[in-house]
Amino acid sequence: MADRDLQGAVVRFAGLLRRHGLPVTLVEVTDAARALGHLDLSDRNEVFLGLRAVLVSRVEEIPTFERCFNAFWRAARADDPVLRGLVAPPDDRGPEPAPVETPTVAGQRREGVALETWMADEEGDSAGEPLGVPSVSDRDALTTQDFSTFTAEQLDEIARLTVQLARRLARRASRRRRPAKRRGLVDLRRTFRANLTRGEIIDLRRRRRKQKKVRLVLLCDVSGSMDLYSRFLLQFLYALQNVFGRVETFTFATRLTRVTEHLRGRPYRQVLRRLTDVRDWSGGTRIGASLAEFNRQWGHLLDRRTIVIVLSDGWDTGDVDVLATELLRIRRRAARLIWLNPLLGNPSYEPLTRGMAAALPFLDWFAAAHNLESLRALAGALRL
Amino acid sequence: MRKEIQRIQELMEAADYVTDAPVATSVHLATILRKPLLIEGHAGVGKTEVAKVMARMLGATLIRLQCYEGLDAAMALYEWNYQKQLLHIKLEEGSGRPTEQKEAAIFSEPFLLKRPLLQAITQETSPVLLVDEIDRSDEEFEAFLLEIFSEWQITIPEIGTIKAAHPPHVILTSNRNRELSDALRRRCLYLWVDYPSFEKEVRIVERKVPGVNARLAREIARFMESLRAVRLSKVPGVAETLDWARALTALHADHLDAELVAETLGCVLKDADDVKRFRAEVASAGIGKFIPVEG
Repeated sequence: MADRDLQGAVVRFAGLLRRHGLPVTLVEVTDAARALGHLDLSDRNEVFLGLRAVLVSRVEEIPTFERCFNAFWRAARADDPVLRGLVAPPDDRGPEPAPVETPTVAGQRREGVALETWMADEEGDSAGEPLGVPSVSDRDALTTQDFSTFTAEQLDEIARLTVQLARRLARRASRRRRPAKRRGLVDLRRTFRANLTRGEIIDLRRRRRKQKKVRLVLLCDVSGSMDLYSRFLLQFLYALQNVFGRVETFTFATRLTRVTEHLRGRPYRQVLRRLTDVRDWSGGTRIGASLAEFNRQWGHLLDRRTIVIVLSDGWDTGDVDVLATELLRIRRRAARLIWLNPLLGNPSYEPLTRGMAAALPFLDWFAAAHNLESLRALAGALRL
Repeated sequence: MRKEIQRIQELMEAADYVTDAPVATSVHLATILRKPLLIEGHAGVGKTEVAKVMARMLGATLIRLQCYEGLDAAMALYEWNYQKQLLHIKLEEGSGRPTEQKEAAIFSEPFLLKRPLLQAITQETSPVLLVDEIDRSDEEFEAFLLEIFSEWQITIPEIGTIKAAHPPHVILTSNRNRELSDALRRRCLYLWVDYPSFEKEVRIVERKVPGVNARLAREIARFMESLRAVRLSKVPGVAETLDWARALTALHADHLDAELVAETLGCVLKDADDVKRFRAEVASAGIGKFIPVEG
């Protein structure tokens, strides 16, 4: 078989993978083609394993890869000339695996203001921006108003303010980390350089151990009215993300979904649509079960540098004991456990739901996250 | 199967590493394509072992860079031997040599402490570089590694640029305590190592625990398989299996029974909640779920 056929097949296969959400790069395609030259093409399993090693880059991609592989690389029958079987293209649109949502390009640009631009701007403007930025406090009325009371147009404005506030907080955090003059370890390298011509060590240079960044794990309730608050919290924390070592995000209603990957590098609006997509309306909120799922699958994310934030109103239709057990488990392993309940912003609210009452003993910080002011207060709790 | 891959499997088995097709294929492609191989999997499934065996297989030096939180470029690349430099200056004090000459002397190779990455690019033949537990380092270090991997050259201001004549074979391992960046992932070949299948685990036990009873080995593997299906917070890996098999062999056990399991459970379960969960499981389903009935 001509090499070109094989290369063409690899390119088409990569296209199929991309359509199903695997971000295969050009280099990987080239490598895949090269790899085939070093594999036994009559051994389907070997081709599978070889291409998988090259084209997959995380374990979650393996099931998709497997489905695509099976759809694309038809199994060669014994009497078939093997190679022809291998390079057979899928009958054009052939037996494709279940479609995975692919975002359309149209309509993304304009909507993409928020997340996209924060990421790009973060380094760029942090130095140059004058200190007298129009402060959020100029708009006090807006900062203390509950998110749920804004009109659709106002929400855009609030989203912008949220980002602004987060940026200012992020800058403050970075100033605080400047190395101190008096304390810290002696930096031998710089000390030595500075004293080179003297032959004696007179002027000690010091350095501080690089400050370890705090990591965040967010567990956002996206059932019913919580959805809106979850969005603002996410927007706020993602704008702050340079301050954190890492932000892992999960949503839950009746079951847990990890959305970290969806949030990365996507336009903000699209992200919010995704959040709404994962919501299942079927039956209430099962916080305890969702947290159990988190502990089982993602418990390894927790350590003494990790703050866990749960955003929920505490209406648990599941077993309250489960909730308590799972919270205790998180509490033991994480640095801090924070529960945000937007209803707390309402003066007449008392945390009397069974779920909330069961949760209270395990919390380090219990607050509202219903307006900008409360988000600002939250930032204070996010330092270890 | 390609004969090179078969050979890798044989060499690995000869080096006491029980392997399978995915591992051998990945190692084969990593050496052919000269790409770093990223190995992910749960703790204790033998990820690090792959690098060691690969080094032995290629007859190459193994250089290990153990990652930890706060690891920075200086600690991974090189440092100047300050004590030695100071001493040298003192010794040279009365020599009357010009400053430039003194400076050139103390910033030369004899005063350089090579850390793993610099070692890896200054070898006579391609070594195997093991970047162990990359997920423990931070994002900045990961970006720095990527830079090194793309050029295989390091610039030391006082000496100049050193370029690797023989770029190393690179193996990275991760326990997924932190998600690695896409940039790094896409640069590497990828291998996910899962818990071993029943057959593989039997072979591992028989290979690694000399004198183990054949029936015991099978029962242990069966037990571990059932145990991993229970929802545990700390799922035991192969390391635990081997600890346990060694302990049981030392006790001259030739099969498992409920009493023996209860006495030695600490080898396998390291979390109080897990022990409770196991007991509850035994109470409801019976020990027969874990230990096959006689006959």
